[in-house]
Formats: sequence, C-alpha cells, structure tokens
Amino acid sequence: MKYNLELIKNKRRIIGFSTVLILFSLLGILYSTFNTSYKKPINLGMDFVGGNETRIERVCEEACSNFSPDTVLQNLREISKNKKVLNNIKLQFQNKNKLISIRTPYLSIEESNNLISNLDNIVGPLNYESKDSRLIGPKLGKKLLTNCVTSLVVSLFAISLYITIRFDKKYALFALLALFHDLLIVFGIFSWLGIILSVEVNSLFAVSLLTIAGYSVNDTVVIFDRIRENLKSKKEGYNETIQLSVNESFRRTTFTSITTLIPLLSIILFGSYSLFWFSLALSLGIAVGSYSSILLAPSLLLKD
Amino acid sequence: MKRRQGWLFFIIFLLTLSVYLLINYPLQLGLDLQGGSQLTLQIIKEEGKVTRDELEAVNSVIDKRVNNLGVSESNLQTLGGDQLILELPGEQNPLVASRVLGKTALLEFRTQKEGTSTDLKTLQLQRLNIKELIEQYSFAEKSQNDNNLNVIQDDLKDIEQELNYSFTSNDLYGKLIEIKKYVDKEITNLFNKTDLSGKDLINAGRRQEQTNSNWEVLLNFSNSGGEKFAEITKSIAGTNQLLAIILDGESISEASVGNQFVNTGITGGSATISGNFSAENARELEVQLKGGSLPLPIEIVETNTIGALLGSKNILKSLYAAISGLIFVGIFMIFNYRILGFVSVLSLLLYGFFNLALYSLIPVTLTLPGISGLILSIGMAVDANILIFERIREELNDGNTLTRSIDSGFMRANSSIVDGHITTLLSCFVLFLLGTNFVKGFAATLGIGVLISLFTSLNCSKTILRFFTTYQSLRQKNLYLPRNNFSN
Repeated sequence: MKYNLELIKNKRRIIGFSTVLILFSLLGILYSTFNTSYKKPINLGMDFVGGNETRIERVCEEACSNFSPDTVLQNLREISKNKKVLNNIKLQFQNKNKLISIRTPYLSIEESNNLISNLDNIVGPLNYESKDSRLIGPKLGKKLLTNCVTSLVVSLFAISLYITIRFDKKYALFALLALFHDLLIVFGIFSWLGIILSVEVNSLFAVSLLTIAGYSVNDTVVIFDRIRENLKSKKEGYNETIQLSVNESFRRTTFTSITTLIPLLSIILFGSYSLFWFSLALSLGIAVGSYSSILLAPSLLLKD
Repeated sequence: MKRRQGWLFFIIFLLTLSVYLLINYPLQLGLDLQGGSQLTLQIIKEEGKVTRDELEAVNSVIDKRVNNLGVSESNLQTLGGDQLILELPGEQNPLVASRVLGKTALLEFRTQKEGTSTDLKTLQLQRLNIKELIEQYSFAEKSQNDNNLNVIQDDLKDIEQELNYSFTSNDLYGKLIEIKKYVDKEITNLFNKTDLSGKDLINAGRRQEQTNSNWEVLLNFSNSGGEKFAEITKSIAGTNQLLAIILDGESISEASVGNQFVNTGITGGSATISGNFSAENARELEVQLKGGSLPLPIEIVETNTIGALLGSKNILKSLYAAISGLIFVGIFMIFNYRILGFVSVLSLLLYGFFNLALYSLIPVTLTLPGISGLILSIGMAVDANILIFERIREELNDGNTLTRSIDSGFMRANSSIVDGHITTLLSCFVLFLLGTNFVKGFAATLGIGVLISLFTSLNCSKTILRFFTTYQSLRQKNLYLPRNNFSN
C-alpha cells in the first residue's frame, strides 16, 4: 500500500479548512466570554471557582420514581435550616432517576451533610456508600486556576524552547503554529460544549491540554525530521520532497495515533464518569494533532 | 547471540521480580478507588511566605491531633509549602476531623481587670440569652414556625439596644452569630493577659462530672506551668476578680479563686475546665489541647468524600478500560504486523507488569487520573514499536534479509523514539512540579510509563524477536509482512 496524499494540490484547501476551524473556535471563545452567564472564555468548573458537588445514588426496589428537580428544590427550601445554602443550587436526576447530582456554592462539611440528609428525607433512601462529594473553597479554586495556567505557560515555553533549539527557525515556527492550532481548537470545542451542554472544565482539562501539547509536537517533529532527511538526499523538487516525506510517514503517524486513541476510547466507553470529558479532550486533541502534523504543518512549509 | 540470551534471562528475572513484588507489596489505592475522605488544609499567613519550620510545626500539631482522634490508617502529608493533605480511608466521617483540625486551639489564662464586675455580669447574661436564642432559632427553623422566628427577632432587638450594637449582617442567623462574636470579644477584653498558656500543658484529659451528666476537661501543667498557675491564682484569690480560660479568643470558663488559696495559690499543677461540655465537645477539646495550638491558623479549603461502593466500582471500570484497551491495541498490532505485532503485545504485557511493580516499589498511590495515565501510556508505549516495525518493513521491502532488517530497524528508529518522547516527558515534568495532588498522579504514571516503555519497546521487543527468529519456522518473511505489502 502506497499512500498518495496530494498535499501540493490541496494546500489552499487544508489551510482554508484550518482557518475555518480556528475561526469556529474563536467564535466559541468570544461568544462564551460575552454572551453567557459566566462571562469566561470557557465554562470554568468547580475546581476553579470553588463550590460543592455531590453525587449520590438512590436505593430503589425496582425503577426509581420520578421527581421533578423543581419540586425537590422547593421541598428542600421548606425543610432547610440554613436558607443561604439554597442559593444558586443545581439539581439533576440522571441514570433513570437513580443518580442525583447536586451543585451549590461552597459549603462547610456540616452544611453539606445537612443538605444531603434533607435530600434523603425527600427522595431517599440514599445509598451513602455510593456518595461522591467534593467541596472546594473559593480561595483554593483561584489558586488551582493560577496553578494550571502557570503549568500551561511554563510547559509551552519549555516545548517551544526545545523546538527552537532542535530545528531552524522556519520549522520551529510552523511546528509551534501547528501546536497552538491544536490547542486552540480543543479549547474552542470545549467553549462550545460549555455554551451548548454546560460542560465545565476542571484541572484535568488543563492536564489534557498539556498532554496534547507534548504529544502533538512529537508527531510534527517526526514528520519534519523525515522532510529534513529527504531534502538532503533526494533530487526531486522541494515541494515534491515534502509531499513524498509526508506520504512516507503517513502510515506511521496515523498508526501511532490510532493505538493511542484506542485506550482513550476504552476509557470513554468503560471508564469512570470523572474521566469522561478528560479522555474526550485528549482524543480530540490527538485527532486534531495528527491532522495538523500530517497535513497542516507540511502544507505551511510548501512554497507557492 | 550470547549477549541477547543474557538479556532474555535478565528480562525473565525482572518479570519474576515484578510478580514477586506485586504479590508481597500490594498496590496502594487512592481514595477514589477505595473510598474515604480527603481534606486539604491551607495554612493562613497574612504576610510573607510560610517557612519550612512553620510548615513542620503545623504538620506536627495536626499529626498529634489526628493520632489522638483515633482515626485508623490516616495519612498526612504536606503539599506545595503551605498546604497539608489528610486522608481518612473508609467510612470515617470527615466532619469531626474538620472540627478538631480547623481550630487554632490557642489556650490562654487571663485574670479579670479590676472594677469590671458589673460589665462582666451584663455580658455574661447577654451571652446566655444569645446562646438560648441560637438554640431556639435552630428549633424554629426545623419546625417551620414563623411566630417563633418573630419572637427571636424581637428578643435580638432588645439585646441589640442593651449592648448598643449595630449589625452589619441582614439575615437573622448571621446577626446571631455576629452578636455572639461581639460579646465573646467584649468579655475577653475585660481580662488581662498572663504568661500562662497552652504551651505550659503537658497533658489533657476529660471526665464526667459527678453531679450531672456534663463533662469536664482536665489540664495538667508542666512544672513551670504549675508554678505560674499557682502565682496567678494567688494574685486574685479572695478578690472578686475571676480567672478566665480562653480558647481561640472565646472565654470557655470564668471562675473565682477561693479565699483559702490566698497564701499559696492553687498548687498541684492541674486545673479543671467545667463549662457544660457534652461528651463529644470534651473529647474534641482534649484532642486539641493534647496536640497543642497551631502556630498559624489553618482553613479547610477542600474536602473530597467517596463512598466505598463507588471506589470499588471505579476499580472495576478502570480494569475494564485497561483490559479492553490492551486487547484492541493487541488486535490492531497483530493484524498489521503479524509476528512483530505479537512481539509488541508480549512487550506490552511486560510493560504492564514492570509498571505496576514499580508503583508498588516507589510507592505510587494509584488514583483514577493515575490509571488514566497508565492506560494512555499503553498507547504511547506501542508508538515506539510502530516506529521500529515501520523501519523493519521498509528494510524488508528493500529486499534485505530478516536479521539485517530487524537490526537496522531497531538501530535507525532509536534516536527518533527517544527524541519523540522528550516533549511528553517535559509536559509530565511540569505537571508533576506544579500540579495539584490529583494531577500529580497522572503525571507520575504517564512519566514512569514513558520511561519504562523505552526499555520494553526497545530492549524487550528486540530480545523477544531475536528469540523467535532462532526458530527456522518463524523466519518466513510473510509472517512479518502482510501479503499486500509485497506488491511494491
């Protein structure tokens, strides 16, 4: 099997496609910043703004009875001692009414326990063995956010430095362009997910961005290496050599991406819910990363 | 060939060692896998950074308190210079721990200023009123009785006028808490500081009072503490000045010292605080006093609680994800690379064992993000194999012999594999340095995984492959290249 990607012919289309993707991401980020209730480029989750999230299962003999979240909240208001707790509360039933997920601003452990025992009185019995509760103070949230942003900046800087040392200017520039392209698109997709499905990002999202950065650069490096090697030895023209190199490493790049995507898809399908969005972000990043390594970055190298 | 045989034995040795380690030193599971609670304590310092000494001091006080609480298998560690993480495995309620740990527990002994008896009496009376109002409030809230709430509102107005105080809070509960704090502060201000404090204690205990069901807390002073206590009690014995015991700015007991102590003070080096303690309150105070006061205040900034059932579900789900990932990667590799693919599956299995063995050796506590790092690194470990196999395929297509192709395949892919992993390792390194506890788990497993994969995919797969090719029947080219690859 020989691959024959017509890179030279399709240069405009590839760059056009990426431009559309980037515009789409920027649109999401802008819309999210100005037109949502949270006014942030991305819907920041509890890790970053603080709060309390509890997920707990109900014990049901057969099918769990149906409750509307509004009635439950109204009942909660009636029996709760501390009314303050009930501001900005979000309640959802999932998994055929079995799983309750409840979000509030930051509460103390005591307040959170009271809330759950009140909930138990309304929709109980609840299975405390299945409880998953997180309380994050607003101060820590801010600290985590700074922490994640610093990690991202530092590691992007380290990667940029590594690339600049390893390649000459032109290659380094395009490799980095491809990297930021990948990160921007994943970020943009999650901005849109936040707008449409209220998906929130937590510290694991920052981790996925960092991992994507490491991985995507890796792919680009391999292809650029091949191009450099071939430019030294081959007698064909500059553009043709680039296209040939891409086709030579096409199999290798797609295969490594596939073998990395397979375990991620297993986590999405079989793993815990807390890893779902994380694995999705990683999968998206790796898919976009392979696209940009194989098609975008080499296209940018092509001469008109 | 001899050298390779050496490697083969070495790999078998490592495998045996890994299995031995895994059997004898089981993996440590994080709370998200075994259930339990995790509290993050933030040390609060107004100015400057928390020094290493201060961190150590806070750590040791918290450690003592945790031990005195009788929490089993708890784990306390410092994080990032100004935080502590306490893990309570199993179904242990984090509520008590949070109440006991969160307090500074600064114990002071103060003597009443002269001529403040009337002021104190007024304040003591109001304190009692407020305490009753707070109790009535929680009762009224539960019974949803608005009339009662109105009565409390009116009573609070009286207290407000009496004390000439103006509120900043708007809601009733906030006002109650606010005025309680104000009265506590005013009472404390009626007393002079002495040089006797919680530092002079050598032990604390509790017992039930004989006359009623309340509890009291016993204090044992050190020698010098006992002398100070005698001195202080002597100074106010027989007067109408009281001795106050103040915990974190709130007076928990005010008592007079009888006339009989006017010559010597209270000797014997011990004192009792009897302030209407419930059994639980007395125990919490005992634990706090035994551990000493915190040099800096702390705040609980994060609490995670995970039920045991959820933990075991998480283990099962992760196991499914890991195994199915492994199987599908294996199928993909064998389909595309035949024998070579089979070799990579064997090295992957080795990779898994070595990884887990290293986790139990270091030890790495396995958490959900950690497992996802491990599963992800399965995919990355195969990357190196793919690079090598693609090279071998090219060499075979160029008409080289099998042995030669294998040799040069491994050699030529070497540099680009090491190179390609550097960026991933860079990211892991940054994550590990700057990340939170949660993130560190992921960075650690992914980083370890990438390093081990260098060994397994370069060395182990080469050794296994060499071993296979010693058999004549396994040396046919079509076992290494799917048919359609011959066409070009």
